Amino acid sequence: MGYDPENPMKDRITDIGPPHFERFFPALVKKNYGKWLYHEILKPGVLKHVSETGDELYTVRIACARLISIELIRDYCDIADKHADGIMRWTTRNNVEFMVDSAAKVEPLLADLKKHGSMPVGGTGAGISNMVHTQGWIHCHTPATDASGVVKAIMDELFDYFTSMTMPAQVRVALACCLNMCGAVHCSDIAVLGVHRKPPMIDQDLISNVCELPLAIAACPLGAVKPAKGINSEGKEVKSVTVNEEKCMFCGNCYTMCPAMPLADPDGDGIAILVGGKISNSRSMPKFSKMVIPFLPNRPPRWPEVVAAVKNIVEVYAKDAKKYERLGEWAERIGWEMFFEKCNIPFSDKCVDDYRLAYNTWRTSTQFKYTSHIK
Amino acid sequence: MAKIEHKGKAYEVDEDGFLAKGMEEWDNGWVDYVKSIEGITDMTDEHQKVIDALQEYYKKNGIAPMVRILSKTTGFPLKRIYELFPSGPGKGACKMAGLPKPTGCV
Repeated sequence: MGYDPENPMKDRITDIGPPHFERFFPALVKKNYGKWLYHEILKPGVLKHVSETGDELYTVRIACARLISIELIRDYCDIADKHADGIMRWTTRNNVEFMVDSAAKVEPLLADLKKHGSMPVGGTGAGISNMVHTQGWIHCHTPATDASGVVKAIMDELFDYFTSMTMPAQVRVALACCLNMCGAVHCSDIAVLGVHRKPPMIDQDLISNVCELPLAIAACPLGAVKPAKGINSEGKEVKSVTVNEEKCMFCGNCYTMCPAMPLADPDGDGIAILVGGKISNSRSMPKFSKMVIPFLPNRPPRWPEVVAAVKNIVEVYAKDAKKYERLGEWAERIGWEMFFEKCNIPFSDKCVDDYRLAYNTWRTSTQFKYTSHIK
Repeated sequence: MAKIEHKGKAYEVDEDGFLAKGMEEWDNGWVDYVKSIEGITDMTDEHQKVIDALQEYYKKNGIAPMVRILSKTTGFPLKRIYELFPSGPGKGACKMAGLPKPTGCV
């Protein structure tokens, strides 16, 4: 029955979990589940899986903006109804895949996707697939940059890499709009990260009412937040905190815990670029991405500096790395000093780790290469 | 900040209906108001015990207790706390007790 606000627990259904995934399998997938022999990438965006029963499954992958309207979902459903028995799936990078059971059905499907205009096919093999990203200014309260806008600007510039497979290995690009790093920023080949550069402001009128002060104090990774008496706008003494600005590195954790400590700032906020992370175990161990560009300004709506920086790194990597070599493997093989030189990125003191376990990231060896790109 | 009225008394609340001034403005009328919107039919001693435990801990420590501490001090397992407060210990019990709105990635 309809929800009754007077009696909220009546007819309440709970703890039912997601529906079982098998309910949404294409018939051919259900039949061949656990029996796949091998797969091929026929061309960018088109995969073929062959089963031990001899069945062939063709998958067409298209880009998706992740943040989409129900109209677009219905467009996807129309395509799925027409070509793929009404079934489609989303990938872990928020691409969309349509599966058909014969080679003859692939071309008509591709033709319809092309006709739609905003369903580009690609994202397979050694190219650049979708960007994993976050909420940004659309919905979150702690961002230092936008997500959807920056992603659109970058993917426009990298579009040819989405629809081709010309890289040494796949390049995973991710974005997070603050260093909560929701998503994959800490482990992506190229990561775009929103950063602040100014300490929080303390709202003395609100702080003692809306904040659990010990939480704000414990939220600081550097011990910069301390309990203190504050004076509110009425001149009354209130329980509050102080921020040691010399110690603050603008992470924003205290604002996450305490709404009276906002720190977003239009000029201070911007984007840092990290590179060289990966999560797969192939060849080398998983790696964290490392910061190479500490700050680029927020320049909506197209973020030209950020786009140029990402594109530059992609192009130098594509030209220089060996086959199968991920960006982090390449940078570690040639040495980070060569990475900075080849990419012509000025190295700054901001990239030198100074947080607790920093020592291990410094060079305790005489092995290095002379570089000269910064005059 | 919005104001709501319940039985002739006004309370200053934020957009999620938590008391903006915390326990300063908290009284039995507030408990009665939250009870009416949270789907709690009658207030029992058990409800009161949870509220007292929250307020006592908050006054002493400046933070809301962790769920396990709340369970331990009241003796109610989490399941029972949800039976008492259908919205849960944060949105239900803390709101009724006049504690600040829970923060972080919730």
